[in-house]
Formats: sequence, C-alpha cells, structure tokens
Amino acid sequence: MSNIDENAQGKEMGLTTCPSCNKLNEQKQTHCTRCDSPLMVRDTTSLQKSWALLITAAILLIPANIYPITMLTDRGRIRHDTIFTGITHLVQSDMFPIAIILFTASILVPLLKIVGLTIYLTAISFRLPISKKMLMVGFHIIEWIGRWSMLDLFVISITVALVNMGQLLDAKPAPAATAFALVILLTQMAAKVLDTRLLWDRLESKDDKNRSTKSR
Amino acid sequence: MERDCIDDCVTLCRSCDLVVTKRALPSGVRALCPRCHTALYDTPYCSINGMLALCITALIFFTPANFLPILELHFLGSVRTATIAEGAIAVAHQGYWIVGISVMLTAVIAPGILILSILSQILIIKYRLHSPFFRDLLKRLLKYQDILSQLTMLEIYLISILVSVFNLSDFADIFLGMGTFCFSMLFIVTLFLQREYNLEHMWSMLDE
Repeated sequence: MSNIDENAQGKEMGLTTCPSCNKLNEQKQTHCTRCDSPLMVRDTTSLQKSWALLITAAILLIPANIYPITMLTDRGRIRHDTIFTGITHLVQSDMFPIAIILFTASILVPLLKIVGLTIYLTAISFRLPISKKMLMVGFHIIEWIGRWSMLDLFVISITVALVNMGQLLDAKPAPAATAFALVILLTQMAAKVLDTRLLWDRLESKDDKNRSTKSR
Repeated sequence: MERDCIDDCVTLCRSCDLVVTKRALPSGVRALCPRCHTALYDTPYCSINGMLALCITALIFFTPANFLPILELHFLGSVRTATIAEGAIAVAHQGYWIVGISVMLTAVIAPGILILSILSQILIIKYRLHSPFFRDLLKRLLKYQDILSQLTMLEIYLISILVSVFNLSDFADIFLGMGTFCFSMLFIVTLFLQREYNLEHMWSMLDE
C-alpha cells in the first residue's frame, strides 16, 4: 500500500469514517454499514454550532466569576465568596495545595478552554496560518482537561449537604454556581460538536509539509 | 477487489481525515495519527471474562458507595452525614437544579448506566446472543458508550472528596466512612474496567 500519498485525505479517495463507530465507509453511502448512523463527509454546520456554544459560554464566564458562588453563614455572620475570593481564603489559611488545585480547576481551565477554542475556531473560520499540529495538540488537551472544572461543583455539593446548622454554620450555593455549571457544559459541547477534520481541509502551512520526513 | 484491500489495510483519522496505512502492532502499543496525534487504534486486548469480573465487582461496590455516607462531619456535638445523591439534592433544593442535575448525572447516573451497559454488552457477546433484538441492543449500547464514558467523572469526585475534607477540617471534625472506602473501590474497579474495554474491538464483535 506504499503507493498512497503521504498527505492523502480520505475525502479525496471517496472514503469517509462513521462519526459514531469509526468504520470506514464509502462516500456514496448515506448510512454506516455497521451501525446505521447517518454519514457526513464533513459536518460544515458544526463550525457555526461550535461558535454559538463558545460565545454563550464566554458570556456566562463573566457572571460565573463576578457573582458569589457560595454563601457561608458562620455564627450569624454571612460571607459571600466568589470563585476567586474562595481561593484567596484558602491561601490565607495556608492550604496552598488545595488552593492550587481549585485555582487550576475553576479559573485556569475554563479560561484556557475558552481562549483555546476561540483560537481554534478562528483558525478554521478565517484560515489563519497557525501550525495545525500545535492547534491539534491544544485541542486534545482542552478535550481532556475540560472535565476537571466539575471539581468545584462537586465540592460545593458535598459542602452544602454537610454544613447545614442554621445560624451557627451553614453553607449554601449562590448564583454563580449555575452560570459556572453552564460554562462547563457549553464548552464541553462546543469541543464535542466540532468536526475537527475541517481544520485539515482548509489550512496549509509550511511546518505540516515536512511531516512525512519526521514520521519515518 | 481493490476496494476490499483498501478497507482492510487503511484507516482514516477521525480528527483530520488523513489516510493512514494500518500495521500490526505489538500488544500494549497504540497507533497515533502521524499528523495530528489522535489515537487511532490499538491491539485489541479485551478479556471478556476479566471484564465480566470487573463489572460484577463494580456493581457490588456501586450500591454501598451510593447509599452509605461518603463523609461525616462532627461540629459542636451535632453530626451530619452526606451521600453523593444527598449532596446533589441539597444543591437542587436551594434552587440550583442545573448544578444538582449535573452532579447527579456525572457522579451517580452515568457511572451506573456505564457499568450496566458494559455488563449487558459482555453478556451478549459471551453467550453469543445473535437474535435481532440483542444485536440491535448491542448496537445501541455501543453508540452511547463514548458519551457515557465521558460523563462518568468518578475520578474528579474522588478528588473533590479530598478537597472537601481539607476545606471543612478548618471548621469541624471530618470522618471518612465505609461509603468513602466503597466509593474509592468503585473508582478503582471502573478505572480498570475502562482500561480493559476497547470500543473498536466491541464493534468488531458485532461484525462477526
């Protein structure tokens, strides 16, 4: 099979993979021969869907960060904590490792995810000459690390269930929790819905051409 | 004739549509796309009986992990306990039902369905149930496998328990119980189950 061109796309050979079971199919088929899912050589509408989800997520990131995410009543005194002040409290009480975990999961990851996806989508929509390889590495990292933002919500749910002693000591969620949950959901969907093959059809930059020499 | 040959020795990268020639791999090695480094395929190593054992173990741990309290809090003489579902319900009860649903879904429902789904897939394959009903069921389960394993967030919940312990030990005394142990075991067993499980291999079982 050495006669196959090193840069051949399946699209040019009349082949396509099934989006749900990865079986190789011919383009003339409308449904996968193995799992009957509808086949699509490229899902061009996925770019719009992904943009829409991403923009919504970016807007929701603002309320998620400026509104309080927890409300703590400690001996009659009510304290509202945003994501950021919650972390500064942890730093002040000398719990650096926990502070770092929470900072990564609730501030760094959502921000990087939104910035990363924006770069990725702009590169596809406006054909920016950014290295496709770098973009794809970034995309894989985003896909993998995105789930970890759920950490903060789990911690809130455990805390709310345990700490409920009226005026003495009481923890409750606050408005930012919903916004934060939606940010996670929407960014994960934006990454999931996107047909990444679109990137490889459109861009052509220099560093991707010497790929064949490296891979051998 | 030529088409058949292409089907057997070529695969397309699902992230970038590159045509990749398939090669035989030693066990434990995964083929990555040379262009975008997406995982393409690996040598199918799934022992059906091993997975069945892991599945049953996971099911045994699933009930206590979800019905026994995962944390116990002692504060000025009053004791509070919480299970995972109680945590989700407590948040939903305050009006934050989106948060409640996502906690419930990712920490209780998705792992449960994932284990049951793998169990039924294994049983169908192990006992060679070839009737149209079972084939259709297997097909459906395999289609939802990917999304289910993405929704399963046991590892994140485990870290959250640790974070909560450190967070709350500032105010009160925290105790871990049998529920915490069962949950950790559930996590470990599910981790091994997901390592052993190979979706591509399962799909090829359907072809036979």
